[in-house]
Amino acid sequence: MRRLGFYAALGILILWSIGPVYWALVTSVTPPNALVSDILRLWPEQMTFEHYAKLFGATSTSQGNEVQSVWPQFSQAFFNSLLTAFAATVLTVLIAAFGGWAFVRLRFPGRDLIFVVIVGTLGVPAYTVMIPLYRIMISAGLVDTYTGVVLIYVSAFLPLALWLMRSVYQAMPLSLEEAAWLDGASKLYTLVRIVLPLAGPGLVATAILTFLSAWGQFMVPLVFSPTLDTKPLTVLIPEFVTRNYVDYGLMNAAGIVAIVPPVLLVIFLNRFLVQGLMAGASK
Amino acid sequence: MTSRFIPKRPLFGQEARLGLYLTAPVILIMGVLVILPLILTVVESFYRVEQMKQGIPFIGFKNYANLMLDKDVLKSWNNTFIYVVIAVAIETLGGLGAALVLNKVKIGRRWLLAVVVLPWCLPPVVNAIIWLWIYNPSYGLLNALLRSVGLISESHVWFNDRFTGLLLVAVVHAWRMLPLTAIILLAALQSIPANLYEAARLDGASAWRQFWLITLPLISGGLAISLSQSTVFAFNLFDEAWILNGSSIGTRSLMVQVYMSAFQNMKFSLGMALSIMAMIASLIVSAIYVLRVYKETRFD
Repeated sequence: MRRLGFYAALGILILWSIGPVYWALVTSVTPPNALVSDILRLWPEQMTFEHYAKLFGATSTSQGNEVQSVWPQFSQAFFNSLLTAFAATVLTVLIAAFGGWAFVRLRFPGRDLIFVVIVGTLGVPAYTVMIPLYRIMISAGLVDTYTGVVLIYVSAFLPLALWLMRSVYQAMPLSLEEAAWLDGASKLYTLVRIVLPLAGPGLVATAILTFLSAWGQFMVPLVFSPTLDTKPLTVLIPEFVTRNYVDYGLMNAAGIVAIVPPVLLVIFLNRFLVQGLMAGASK
Repeated sequence: MTSRFIPKRPLFGQEARLGLYLTAPVILIMGVLVILPLILTVVESFYRVEQMKQGIPFIGFKNYANLMLDKDVLKSWNNTFIYVVIAVAIETLGGLGAALVLNKVKIGRRWLLAVVVLPWCLPPVVNAIIWLWIYNPSYGLLNALLRSVGLISESHVWFNDRFTGLLLVAVVHAWRMLPLTAIILLAALQSIPANLYEAARLDGASAWRQFWLITLPLISGGLAISLSQSTVFAFNLFDEAWILNGSSIGTRSLMVQVYMSAFQNMKFSLGMALSIMAMIASLIVSAIYVLRVYKETRFD
């Protein structure tokens, strides 16, 4: 009886977690006329890739009429998402890897105060800083530029990355570094050649968390990426709704394409991801 | 006379200089892009800063006073409080259940964890679009499922009812954030020594009593963390409300209201004042949790 309850709970948990994603996948391969039928099917009678063809095709049809292809927009937004998320991840991890180590191992004036203030900004919602930031970015000419968006991402994700990297370094034995210092190695050399290689799993975890956060951003690019020059997928896809006709097949197909990078990360690097979440949440 | 021969000492030692070099990017980026705007937000919330009007006169607490009287703003406060209550309840109960299940699973736990964290990893916008289709009044899965089990006889337009709308938006948010609670509580569960349960079993304690007397008190630290995280995130709910129901007043959250005041009506300082009030409220609520959980579960 208790085993049965356990398996029921397990089943509900799995269904709750991937059910909606599965439904989006089913929708994305269901023909348009089957989407508006009353019969509930867990897999379409006839599978179709026409929604994907609309995304990737050079020409596009909607309700029998030829309409403008969304591929130029879609590909540009996909590229923007990848570029900004990737650049933000590299910068954040690089800065946090060196900065986090300095906060743990080096003594300098104001160290603890600076660290507390920076981690404290985790409690500040994005909108509290976004309005003045918008005016700062306008006067710096950085609205709708990769530089502007990436810098904002870095400032948003750096506190958590620093927190994670600090806990990674704190868990490392100091004796290793001391041995290298006694052999005459400089502190920076020790960090690059001995500490960073050992911090690999922590760096990967930090990178994954940063990438996922940047990939999913919506509020920041909604304000700071008004045109296709830098507009990411998360801002482009909802715009498919605002036309007079809502093409749910297309939207679900676009959504499925947009979740490919996160899903790949979850499949191949889930160990690091969970480690990072646990380290970031506890302590 | 002799002072000329004393070499000029640098302001900081070698170690301090290296420390400052390595943290300079952190200080620079956070200073210019977070701390400075935060200070500006606080200061300018006492001025009238609007795109359409000339000058920025000092107006004291007038922005705040206007916000207290604005019907839409009051309603969005109300909505946000409802979001927080529903989302935190679902995330905490569901997250605890998920953590208990995960803790029991022996085979393939890694893969089950991957499945459970998946919703958290996806872009919130895509989540909301997936659920928007599920909630679709004519062809959505929710109506179809409820009809097929006979709970409803005809399809509902879910967002016609304010409370149902709030519930559905909160469910999407909770779907995304539940994994975080589950992971935090799982970490707490794994730190409970197994011999405590053995001793309790020898004393004849039921599974239920073991849960109340051992599990719950020992994961209270994790609960406090997850509760305050859920609260802060639910306070800042934006993406789900915006995608699912746009600017409709029935489901408008505080952050949607801030966005509309600042970036649609271009009343910057009004938005700033509101965002400060929201921040303070969310921090107070989460601080209350932490203190209460800490007090009630501490053993002396």
